[in-house]
Amino acid sequence: MAQNINPHYASSSNPSKQNEDTIKLKDNHAVSKRLQKELMELMRCADKGISAFPESENLFKWIGTINGPLDTVYAGHKYKLALEFPNSYPYAPPLVKFITPCFHPNVDTCGLICLDILKDKWTALYDVRTVLLSIQSLLAEPNTQSPLNQQASCLWANQGEYKKYLDEFYNKHKDL
Amino acid sequence: MSQKSDELKIYWKKIKYAFPILNNTLPTECTDQEYEEITQIIVGLGIQVKIRDLVLVHVEKYLRVYVAPSFWSKFTKVEEDIKAFQLFKSAVNDLYDSVNQFSDMLRRLKHLNNECCDNRPIFGEKDVILGFKQLLRATLLSQLPTTYYIIINHFYELSFNVFDNMKSSDMDEDICLGCWNEYSECNCAYIVKVFYDTNKKLVELQLLERLAGQVLTNFIQKKIEVHIRKICTGAFDVSHMSHLEDWLDTTVMTWLTRIYSAGSSQAPPGIKYAITKFKQKLSFFLYQTYTKLRIDQLFNIIIEYPDSQPAIDDIKTCLESTNLCPLLCKKLQTALETRLLHPGVNTPDILTAYISTIRALRHLDPSGIILETVTKPVRNYLRNREDTVRSVVSSLTEEGTGSELAEELAKFAAENDEDNEKEEAWDDWYPDPVDADPRRAQGPKGSDIISMLVNVYGSKELFVNEYRTLLADRLLAQGDINTEKEIRYLELLKLRFGESQLHFCEVMLKDISDSKRINTLISQDKNFAEMNAKFSSNAMILSAQFWPPFKDESLELPEEIKQHLAEYTKAYEGLKGNRTLSWKPHLGNVNIEIEIGEKKLDLTVSPFNATLIMHFQNKPEWLLEELHDIMKVPMTVLRRKITYWQSLGLITEKSSDYYVLVDGSEANKANVPSNQVQEMICEDEETESVMASAHDQREGELQVFWSYIVGMLTNLDSLPLERIHQMLKMFASQAPGTECSLNELRQFLDTKVRTHQLVLQGGMYKLPKL
Repeated sequence: MAQNINPHYASSSNPSKQNEDTIKLKDNHAVSKRLQKELMELMRCADKGISAFPESENLFKWIGTINGPLDTVYAGHKYKLALEFPNSYPYAPPLVKFITPCFHPNVDTCGLICLDILKDKWTALYDVRTVLLSIQSLLAEPNTQSPLNQQASCLWANQGEYKKYLDEFYNKHKDL
Repeated sequence: MSQKSDELKIYWKKIKYAFPILNNTLPTECTDQEYEEITQIIVGLGIQVKIRDLVLVHVEKYLRVYVAPSFWSKFTKVEEDIKAFQLFKSAVNDLYDSVNQFSDMLRRLKHLNNECCDNRPIFGEKDVILGFKQLLRATLLSQLPTTYYIIINHFYELSFNVFDNMKSSDMDEDICLGCWNEYSECNCAYIVKVFYDTNKKLVELQLLERLAGQVLTNFIQKKIEVHIRKICTGAFDVSHMSHLEDWLDTTVMTWLTRIYSAGSSQAPPGIKYAITKFKQKLSFFLYQTYTKLRIDQLFNIIIEYPDSQPAIDDIKTCLESTNLCPLLCKKLQTALETRLLHPGVNTPDILTAYISTIRALRHLDPSGIILETVTKPVRNYLRNREDTVRSVVSSLTEEGTGSELAEELAKFAAENDEDNEKEEAWDDWYPDPVDADPRRAQGPKGSDIISMLVNVYGSKELFVNEYRTLLADRLLAQGDINTEKEIRYLELLKLRFGESQLHFCEVMLKDISDSKRINTLISQDKNFAEMNAKFSSNAMILSAQFWPPFKDESLELPEEIKQHLAEYTKAYEGLKGNRTLSWKPHLGNVNIEIEIGEKKLDLTVSPFNATLIMHFQNKPEWLLEELHDIMKVPMTVLRRKITYWQSLGLITEKSSDYYVLVDGSEANKANVPSNQVQEMICEDEETESVMASAHDQREGELQVFWSYIVGMLTNLDSLPLERIHQMLKMFASQAPGTECSLNELRQFLDTKVRTHQLVLQGGMYKLPKL
C-alpha cells in the first residue's frame, strides 16, 4: 500500500524534487501567487478547527493548527503542524509534519505523517485547506494496517486505554 | 603757662572765625586777608593736617544733620504732577543753594589742604571740591527714603508730557495737552524752563545719574510700553515699526539728550556716546515690547490674514533682532489650543483658522519650522475629529469665492505648469535656523496647503474616499446635475491625487450621463410608454462596483410602483443584454400632486413619504402596525416620517398609533403651514446622507484584517504590533482599500482588546485562551 512507504524515502524519491531547481526561477512568482490566494481563501472561509498562516515573511513555510475532531479521543487537543511548500507546488505536495508531538498510529516520533494524499495520491487540486482537513480526519480514523507507531496501533482497539494514554502523552508534550 | 593757654584760646577763636563750620554754621565775615593770617598761624603751629581733618568731620556732620534731611523731607508722597514738580524743583534748588554756601569755605579748605603737603586723598578724591561732592552724594544716598522715586517720576512725567506734545499741539483743543491747562494759562514754557534749570543743577551736583538714572530708565520703558499699547491695539493692517522707531528717535532720544546736556539739543561727545549706548538698549526694549504685544495678538492677526500682513511683516523684522521665537511658538500654541481645539468649535472654522495659520506663518518664517512646531496639536486634534475629511473635501469643491481651498486647488493646477522653472531656483535656498529640530523630516518646504491638510491623515485614500461619498451624495440629491462642473473639479483633483485614485469617481459621473441617455431611450420605447402612461419616471443607473456602499434601508413600494419599475427593468434588459437593475426603493425623489377638498399641493418628497401618502389614498385610516406590515419599515421610523404629513395637516393621529386622513372639508379649516415650513422639513430630510459614512466603511475594511489577525495568532501564538502590521502588509494587501497605518492598526487592536477578543501581554498580542 502506498501509505506504507517510508516518508523519508518517499520524499527523496519524489521525481519532482530533482528538477525543482529548474522550475524554481520560472515558477516562483506563480507559486507565491497561488499561496497568497490560498491564504486569502483560508482567511475568508475560516473553517472551524483548522487554520494556517505563514510563519514569517517567507510565504513557503506555514504553520498550521488543527483542533482534535469532536467525539473522538482527540477532542479538545490542539496540534501545531509545519507546512513547507516546494517550489514546484502545487504539482508536488507540501511537506507536512507535526510540531506538537502526536500519539497516533500514522504519525512517527519525529512528527512525520503517513498519508496518501501527501505522497503519491497528491494532485494539484488539493490545497492547504483540504490537506489540513484530511489530517484532521486521519486523527479520527487512523489506518492501523500500516502503522508508523506500533504502540499506538496496538492500543487503538481499546479506546478507553488509548484515551487515557493519549491524554497523558498530550499533556506532557503539548507545551514543547 | 596761662599766657600760653590764652594764646591758644585766641588762636582757636581765630580758626573758628575762619571755619565757622566748627560751630555748625556757614556764613562768615572773614576776609581773605584775615584768612591768610590765620593760615599762617595754623602752619606756624604745624596743625594744618589736624585742622583740615577736623573741618572735614564737621562738614560731614553738617551735611548729615542738616542738608540731607532737609532735602529728603521734600520727597513726600504726592499725587498731583504739578505739586510734585514744584517740590522736586524746590528740593533741588535748596540743595543747590546750600551747596553753594559751602563754596567759600571749600576754597579756603583747599588752600589749607595745599599747605598740608601730605597728598592724602580726601574721600577718595585728590581735590577738596571733588571730595566734597563725593561726600555730599554719599551722605544723601545714605539717607535715601524708599519712596524717593515717586516725586522724580512725576517730575519727569510732566516734563515728558510737555515735550511730547510740544510739536504736535493741536490748536483745535482748548486745553494744552502738555500741562492740561487751558491755552490762556498754559504752563508749558515755564515747565520747560524749570525743567532745564533743575536738570542743569543736578548735572552740576553730579546727582542726575544717581538720583534719576534708574527712575528715568523705568519711566522711559513704561512710556514705550504705553505708547506701543496706545498705537498698536486692534489695527493689524498698518506697519508700526518705522513709526515707532521714529518716535523713539525724535521724541524720546531728544528729550533724553536735553536732560543730560542741560537743555541744549547737542550733547557733548562723552554724553553722546553714553546716550547712543542707551538708545541701543531702548530700541531693543522697544522691539521686545512690540513683539510681545504682537505675540499676544498673534491669533487674531492670523485670523485676519492676509489683511494683517503688515503686522506679520513687523513681527518678522522684530524676530530677527530679538530671541522671542520660542515664546512665540509657545504662546501661539496655547492660543490655538484654548481658542480652537475644543468641542465648541465647528470643524470648518478650525480648518479656516488652520489654513490662515499656514499662510501667515509661512510668510513669517519661510523655512516652516515655526509652522511645524505650532500646528502639531492642531493636526493631532483634527485627526480625531470625525468630520474633518468631510469638511475639507466639501470646502475643496465648494462653489463661490468664499472657499479658500477651492481657490487653492485651482491655483495648484496653474502652478503645476511652472514647476520646471522652480527647480532652477536653487540659489534661493537658505539653511534652517539653528534652533530647528534636526530630526525634523526634511519635508517639502514648498508643500502647499492642501497637502498639509491631506497629510493630517497621512493617506490620500481617505480623502479620495470621502470625496467619492460626497460626490455620490451630491449626484443623488440633485435631480438635475451640472456634470460639467463636477468634471472640472474632478480634473483638478486628478492633478493632485492622481488618475488611478479617482477612477471610481469618473465612472460615477459617467453613470449619471449614461442614465440620462438610457432614460430617454426607454421612454421612447413604445411598449414601455403604452404601459406606463400613468406617470413618468427617471432612473439613475449606478454601477454598484464603483459607487460607495449605500445605507441599507428597507421600503416596500406600493404595488403599482413596483410594477412600473419591473417594466422599466424589462425595458432596460432589452436595451442592454446581460445586465439587470436592482432597485434601491428608498433613494430618489417623488413629485406628487395632492388634491384634497379644494386644496391642491405640489410637493417633492422622499419615496418614504410618497408611499405613505399613497396608502392613505386607498384607505383613509391606518394603524401603525398595518403600515409597518405593508411597507416593511420599522415602526419608529414610520412614526418619525409620518410627522411630515401631520405637519402639513393632511393626517392626524386620532388615538395613539392610529392615523386618519384629514378629509377635504377639514383640510380647508386646518391651519395650512406656510411654504417655508414645508421646505424646512423637506430639507431636514434631505440633509441626511444616504451613503454609509467613511468611518463605517473603514470599519468594514478593517474587519477584513481581523480574520488574518486571528489566523496569524492561532498559528503563531503571540506577536508584537510591528510584526502583525508587517505580516498584514505582506499577506493581506490584495484586499480592497487595505492601507492601514501602524497607528490605525494599534487602535483597531486596542478595541479588540477592550472587547476581550484579544489579550495584550508584555507588548505581544495573543488570542485569549478558550
